[in-house]
Amino acid sequence: MRSTPFRLAAVLAVATLATACGGAGDDGDSGGGTAGEPASTAGFDGSTIRLGVLSPLSGPIAVIGQPLTSGNKVWFDHLNAQGGVAGKYKVELVQEDTQYKPDVTVQQYNKIKGDVVAFTQVLGTAPTLAVLPQLRADRILGAPASLDALWVREDNLLPVGAPYQIQSINAMDHYLGEGGGSPGSTICTMVQDDVYGEAGQQGIDFAAEKYGFTVANTQRFKVNTENYAGQIGALAGAGCEMVFLTATPTDAGKIWGTAAQARFTPKWYAQSPSYVGALAQSPVAPYMRQYVTIVAEGTEWGDESVPGMKDMVSRVAEYAPQQQPDFYFAFGYNQARAMTAVLEQAVEAGDLSRDGVLAASRELGTVSFEGLTGDYRYGPAQDRNPPRTTTLFAVDPAKPFGLATLKYDFTSEAARSFEFRKADI
Amino acid sequence: MAKAHRNLIRGYAEQLRLFGTPPARFGLLAMILVFLLLPTVVQDDFWLSVLIYVGITAVGAIGLNLLTGYCGQISLGHAFFIGAGAYVTARVGGDLGLPLPVWLLAAAAVGAALGGLIGPFTLRLRGHYLAIVTLGLIFIGEHLWRNLTGLTGGNSGTSVTAGAAIGPVDFGALSIAGESYSRNQGYFWLVWGLVGVIALLAKNLVRTRPGRALQAIRDRDQAAEVIGVRAGRYKIGAFMLSSAIAAMAGALFGSYQQFVSPDEWNLLLSIQYIAIVIVGGLGTIFGSVLGAIFVGALPALIDRYSDAIPGVRTSVGGEGFISVFALNQAIFGLLIVLFLVLEPLGLAGIWLRVKNYFKAWPFSY
Repeated sequence: MRSTPFRLAAVLAVATLATACGGAGDDGDSGGGTAGEPASTAGFDGSTIRLGVLSPLSGPIAVIGQPLTSGNKVWFDHLNAQGGVAGKYKVELVQEDTQYKPDVTVQQYNKIKGDVVAFTQVLGTAPTLAVLPQLRADRILGAPASLDALWVREDNLLPVGAPYQIQSINAMDHYLGEGGGSPGSTICTMVQDDVYGEAGQQGIDFAAEKYGFTVANTQRFKVNTENYAGQIGALAGAGCEMVFLTATPTDAGKIWGTAAQARFTPKWYAQSPSYVGALAQSPVAPYMRQYVTIVAEGTEWGDESVPGMKDMVSRVAEYAPQQQPDFYFAFGYNQARAMTAVLEQAVEAGDLSRDGVLAASRELGTVSFEGLTGDYRYGPAQDRNPPRTTTLFAVDPAKPFGLATLKYDFTSEAARSFEFRKADI
Repeated sequence: MAKAHRNLIRGYAEQLRLFGTPPARFGLLAMILVFLLLPTVVQDDFWLSVLIYVGITAVGAIGLNLLTGYCGQISLGHAFFIGAGAYVTARVGGDLGLPLPVWLLAAAAVGAALGGLIGPFTLRLRGHYLAIVTLGLIFIGEHLWRNLTGLTGGNSGTSVTAGAAIGPVDFGALSIAGESYSRNQGYFWLVWGLVGVIALLAKNLVRTRPGRALQAIRDRDQAAEVIGVRAGRYKIGAFMLSSAIAAMAGALFGSYQQFVSPDEWNLLLSIQYIAIVIVGGLGTIFGSVLGAIFVGALPALIDRYSDAIPGVRTSVGGEGFISVFALNQAIFGLLIVLFLVLEPLGLAGIWLRVKNYFKAWPFSY
């Protein structure tokens, strides 16, 4: 018992010591320099701009993360070959694997945030939502690699492409106009039971109100379900003539396989992430060829008539010859392009600090993607106007990516009137 | 008369002392020192965030170890209670804006209540049967989290804006004696302080009458009943306590990450917790903490130093034949196998043997 006061004193002494040494592990921004010559700051040493990539490079979603990151890389390789941002600052990517898990994403974000000017890719809706509070607190700009409508009104995010809602509205417009459907047809949906599936469903519900049809049956499923016979049976039982599908490739393949076995043959419209090139080489390809329409953006791989595609394919040949045709690749390529526009703006203002980059993203006007996706009008988050264009594809195994353009780059009236609101996230 | 040897135990009270011997007291002091100084030395946000997640996991693992290690009830439903705690925090700490002690205790209370609802099932089932029933909890939970949109935000998840302030001390933006500390530093102290408190409470529980009752039930529940232990009451109690602690871990997880979605509370998380208590050591509080450090920090360590390991591919289009993730999985799986085969008592068992060796030194038996 004698030693108790001594122990207490020791603990107190340690506590005082702890407060005396060491402050916050915060990285200070050194603010703006003179116009034209940005001062060095976190992630910028005066000659090289470092950008973060938070992407699933392993695990089941790596089939999306790897080509997307490769897309980022090819654009920046091309840019660096031209001299870099504003002709003089090379760009370097800092890649970290998130495994598509929110908590790992937060860890990896913390790992590299002091070392990058901005994040040019954060893949996945849930991972993006997980780092969003930190992006706001650290005043960093991040580019989400998903077409979620939640991103449009967020100051700290730099989205590209037409959100999923727009894709599904345009798909309905096509079905009712040229696809042989009418508001009286039995229209159904099959959606993944998560935030991505909900985005597609939201678009369909909006279209239902606009065009005056009702959704006869909605089937929800969990990612990696083994057996889809129940859902397919329910859709067939409801007599669906058209089914709108939101899924990821592995599930979509199983779903169409089950439908083919059950001889269930509605008109399928599927959101872009449902498709991957390998499906066109799989046994389910004949079924897809006959009944499936893919709702996406841009044009088919290798289409020389679209200038953006022509340039992209030649750059792939130069910087990543082993890259297979892939739509996620194009997404990553477009993302890198939008980030480059922001960086150019920031360099022009002479400020590559975090606040400088955010300010540059607010001052950005319309960025053109030369037909690879619709042009995006940036600016302050509350005034942004995302593209409303969609391209429909038929499955054709003879094409490089297995997709042939059915209807290129169109916008429906309903999609034009869809309003994006700031979500409470 | 010569002084009695430090290992000599002269009474029941002495045997029950938490930090009886000088080395143990020294160990305690060292731990307090590390706790206080580490965030000021390691200011790196990555390592701090890894350690914070490890601390949160350690809290949850202590809860599971009380249930599985001490009471012998296998539960695969741990993730359900962790999720519940996170959502309670989002509503109580975020929407209502109540302070840290309130949301932490509210999460614990809800966890205990949910555990109490599940508890009665444990009276009729044991072993694998109980594991399967608690497995059902995961799926019921997942359905609830996805559909109770008012509470959980549904599939989109929900932001957790719960503040981490106790009175004037805000762990989110700590400022002591004019020196300001980052959020990660503050959370390190908060989380590991709570690990200490909960470990102490758990340790106290297991060395007293209820703890011995739990262990009696684990070893032979019918025999325990014969000697006067009311097995039913203790089984339900263990479930409630374990769930309450799990919910607290969920609360901390939510408030640190500031966002949670239903995708996180899955079977994999439950299995990870079981792996932690097995690798750490079943039936030891210290083992839960060791297991959490091991399982939580090992992947981060491999990830951080993967550049230095030959043959590991760290970027798209980079060289190497195995990705960091695959390497991690392989090493993790291998270690679980090796632990079960070679060291069934877990990390705590190794620690125990080292301790005993020095206790008996210079005699090796």
